[in-house]
Amino acid sequence: MTLLTTRQETPDDAPRPDQDTRGQGQRASRRASHILSAFGFFGFVGLCFTVWLGLWITPPDEFMGNLVRLLYVHPPLAWVAFLAYGVAFLSSLAYLWPRTRSLVLDRLAGASAEVGVVFTGLTLVTGSIWGRPTWGTYWTWDPLLTTTALLFVLYLGYLALRQVPGDAEVRARRCAIGALVAFIDVPIVYFSVIWWKSLHQAPTVLDPINGKTYVHGSMAWTLLLGFVSFTLVYVWLVGHRYRLAELRDREDDEGLEAAIAERRAEANP
Amino acid sequence: MSGYIEAGYIIAFSVLGTYATSVVVRERAAGTRLRRRNYDATRAGSPAGRDKDAPVGN
Repeated sequence: MTLLTTRQETPDDAPRPDQDTRGQGQRASRRASHILSAFGFFGFVGLCFTVWLGLWITPPDEFMGNLVRLLYVHPPLAWVAFLAYGVAFLSSLAYLWPRTRSLVLDRLAGASAEVGVVFTGLTLVTGSIWGRPTWGTYWTWDPLLTTTALLFVLYLGYLALRQVPGDAEVRARRCAIGALVAFIDVPIVYFSVIWWKSLHQAPTVLDPINGKTYVHGSMAWTLLLGFVSFTLVYVWLVGHRYRLAELRDREDDEGLEAAIAERRAEANP
Repeated sequence: MSGYIEAGYIIAFSVLGTYATSVVVRERAAGTRLRRRNYDATRAGSPAGRDKDAPVGN
């Protein structure tokens, strides 16, 4: 007969499967947290360099003069808004697909859409500020501006839809359909300057018709840095917004669990 | 430079900074609330709070 003498062999001390899983989960969470912090750090440093290069180093434009400096902020903001809506669209599509259905995708879609709304709002504001000295007006019912404003309102509606109370699965399905419908406006916004006569200039960074770029030298590098930095900031923001949604869902679930336990205790004293 | 450029940069970065701060603060607050609730539930012997972490600093 063998006696269990060593601490490792004692059944009471052996790690339970759930503890092991929790340990792995915590390690993965810490690693994800470090990666997210790296995104935030490099995004912040990149933005500092973008501002420095954009305001003080790059030359003024031949036609627009110093006003061209808004180029390093306005198009990257618009790009991130499109990216955010693209991520929300793909997540929602994956959620509606029965094989990949998960509330993780619903939370990701919600987080990405919220960040997208912030970036769309900023795109509209910076564009409006740029429009005043260039076109002589803050706002005009131009196809691009109008469709962008519509995009902003559509996703505000999507965020409102997410707040409608109800079962998590039902809400997620409803919101996924909402995200797919709202995304229809994204290609319309992008191609509106090509399809209709617009006051807004046609794409200069990358012309979708002939694949040419009309920005060169230090201006092109600064713009590229702006695109990369804002994208890193987007990833960092979505990561934190996702975690917030996850914590709120856990709060709701555990609150419900505690309420049920309390009721049971009352019923069986 | 004209005031338009400065206004554009200031508005863009201040709004982005405020939003980022609000997200991080709300996330921290939700995490603290959850840990505190679990800790209280564990102390009270509720099944909802078993095997959960105690709040940081307590």
